[in-house]
Amino acid sequence: MTQKKKDNLTKVMDYLKYEDPFSKGVAFCPGCGLELLLRFIPQVMGNDIVITGTPSCSAPVLLGQNNQSWHKLSYFGTLMTGAAANATGLARYYRKAGIKNTVVCFNGDGTAADIGFGNLSGAAERNEPFIYICYDNEGYMNTGIQKSGTTPFGATTTTTPFGSASKGKNLRRMNLALKMAMHKIPYAATATLSDLDDLAKKLLKAKEAKKRGFAFLHVFAPCTTGWGFAPENTIEICRRAVKTNYFPLWEAENGKIRMTKTVKKPKPVSTYTELIKKFAHLSEEDLQILQDDVDYEYCMLGGLSLLEGECRLPASLED
Amino acid sequence: MITKAQKKSQIKVITGNAAAAIAAKLARPDVVAAYPITPQTEVIEQISQFHANGEMDCELITVEGENSAMNAVMAASLAGGRVFTATSSWGLVFMYDAILAAAGARAPIVMVNVNRETPGIIAVSSGQQDMISTRDAGWIFLIAEDCQEVMDLVLQAYRLAEDYDIQVPVMVHYDGFYLSYLSEGVDVPFQEDVDRFLSVLKTQPERTKLVPGGRLGCGSHGILGGYLELRHKHVSAMERAKAKFEQIDKEYEGIFGRSYGGLVEEYRMDDADVVLVGSGSMCGTIKSVIDEKREEGVKAGLLKMRMYRPFPSEAMIKALKGKKAIGVVDRSLCFGFKGGPIYTELKAFETQLGGSKMISFIDGIANTDITKINVANMIDTTCDLAAGKTVREVTWVSYPEAQKEGGL
Repeated sequence: MTQKKKDNLTKVMDYLKYEDPFSKGVAFCPGCGLELLLRFIPQVMGNDIVITGTPSCSAPVLLGQNNQSWHKLSYFGTLMTGAAANATGLARYYRKAGIKNTVVCFNGDGTAADIGFGNLSGAAERNEPFIYICYDNEGYMNTGIQKSGTTPFGATTTTTPFGSASKGKNLRRMNLALKMAMHKIPYAATATLSDLDDLAKKLLKAKEAKKRGFAFLHVFAPCTTGWGFAPENTIEICRRAVKTNYFPLWEAENGKIRMTKTVKKPKPVSTYTELIKKFAHLSEEDLQILQDDVDYEYCMLGGLSLLEGECRLPASLED
Repeated sequence: MITKAQKKSQIKVITGNAAAAIAAKLARPDVVAAYPITPQTEVIEQISQFHANGEMDCELITVEGENSAMNAVMAASLAGGRVFTATSSWGLVFMYDAILAAAGARAPIVMVNVNRETPGIIAVSSGQQDMISTRDAGWIFLIAEDCQEVMDLVLQAYRLAEDYDIQVPVMVHYDGFYLSYLSEGVDVPFQEDVDRFLSVLKTQPERTKLVPGGRLGCGSHGILGGYLELRHKHVSAMERAKAKFEQIDKEYEGIFGRSYGGLVEEYRMDDADVVLVGSGSMCGTIKSVIDEKREEGVKAGLLKMRMYRPFPSEAMIKALKGKKAIGVVDRSLCFGFKGGPIYTELKAFETQLGGSKMISFIDGIANTDITKINVANMIDTTCDLAAGKTVREVTWVSYPEAQKEGGL
């Protein structure tokens, strides 16, 4: 390990101020990005959070399907359709009763971007006082690897298979984090597991922002089983997603976008896709479509961050 | 209904919706979440105004849809709060998954459902089809006859839902349009009396609550054995709710001077030969027609269902046993069965009724008024049944064409 890497690790460890509330062996796949994230959150934010979740990859551990390997957090296992509304109910009651609380609504992209997006958007519009974290593994991995709104162009899933009339998913992915930032909520950010100090800072910022209202974190969490890559490559895939601008790291306070990590010379997206089987069938032309989409999204992000500097939200309407 | 002279209340002329809103305010909920839908809207408009005036100290969540309303109050309830929401028709079925989850989680929610049709032809009209569509959700269902009963049932519902021995959500139903927008005199209780009535709950053990750092979860994945245990406990709590509701009705009378007889209200039943079984706003009309028929010497009576879930079978059998003929009036359909839902359910107890004959009347669907003439016809047909004449098993009272079309 180089000295720089060692220093970085120490920096991350400094953020882990609380006990890991999960038992040591849990029922996630080896190399699961979600597990690292799930263990990381309470170690940074405290064990007194109330975590809510839905049927998903997180459910077996979070909601006690495997009752011999569990955790010590207060939790509420709820419906995918109403995840954000449930968290709203909890946070509002605690506020009314004067109970100090940090409600973390922890969901996959299926709940956040698809079936539960309506109430996620509603909670953001009402600026509800809780933290919503979406772990994005780009599809319904627990249900058996089906396409979701965040599945990218070209990816094969069991409902977007590759075939003579299909490139996999023939549509682009939605930019959930940007949509949420456009709600002008106190805090919205993207994060991933290759940049844990960035993630830790954003978790703490979200906890702080929650005092003013809604906080949203979109965490890129690759799925070894669903995407087809070696378990030891999870972090490398996160790293390459950042370095290719496939998943840029940024934050937005009241909608004002700021990059938290700028990649000076972005690598071609093929350096990211080459590690992942779900893209293996794509031709160079197909990869170019994905590249163009990545470039477009990044350009749009840059443009919006400039615009947000030009157009001011009335100060009285911030937060 | 027995009413004694009131010293501690005020008569106001208000709608059924206003009665529901004022009752909710009097119950002092911690969290109210609701979404507007005709004919319920006035309930949340009034609550919003109470909140805006500072008269109602609750967290008011103006959600983006009914599904969120139910999810929000479910979570707030499981965290330990007293909650209220109101809906109708499509709103009720849009929250259906959360309704099931709330019942399974034993969240003591009180909700008002203003009955309205739910067909594919978007009927903005009254009917109990929405209630029937959710009857197996595991909620306790209460049905009000008039605006006063809306007020009284909402308050009684809190005692029932939050009772330590029950902990089952309660839905108070009242007829959309007929009661939601009907203004009539309502005896509005004073706050201190409602506080006293509800204070019994504070003397009970605290229910399990989801609190930060409490190392407690709810909504876990069901393991086979645990699942059966929880479901059986739920069914048992529903059974206990019957006696509990009788007791609450008596206590309510002690404080507010009004009693309705508990699970069912019997009207001129003692010496009745023929009986109509009804629920909701139709009962007022039925009572008037019974009075007129009595003048003609017809021994008719009414059995009004105040509780629909759990099905008050014991109370109904006791009241109906030995009657010559029974006509059950349904304001909804039971697809796959010819007769109405309540009729079909009561048929399950036919052998315990001592030979009473039963027929089904379907009326009041989609705002077809259950008129006095309709009720008189129902009583006449039930009398014919009592006299041994051949009558149709099922009559669509306001749709005589049904007889020509055959089938039924």
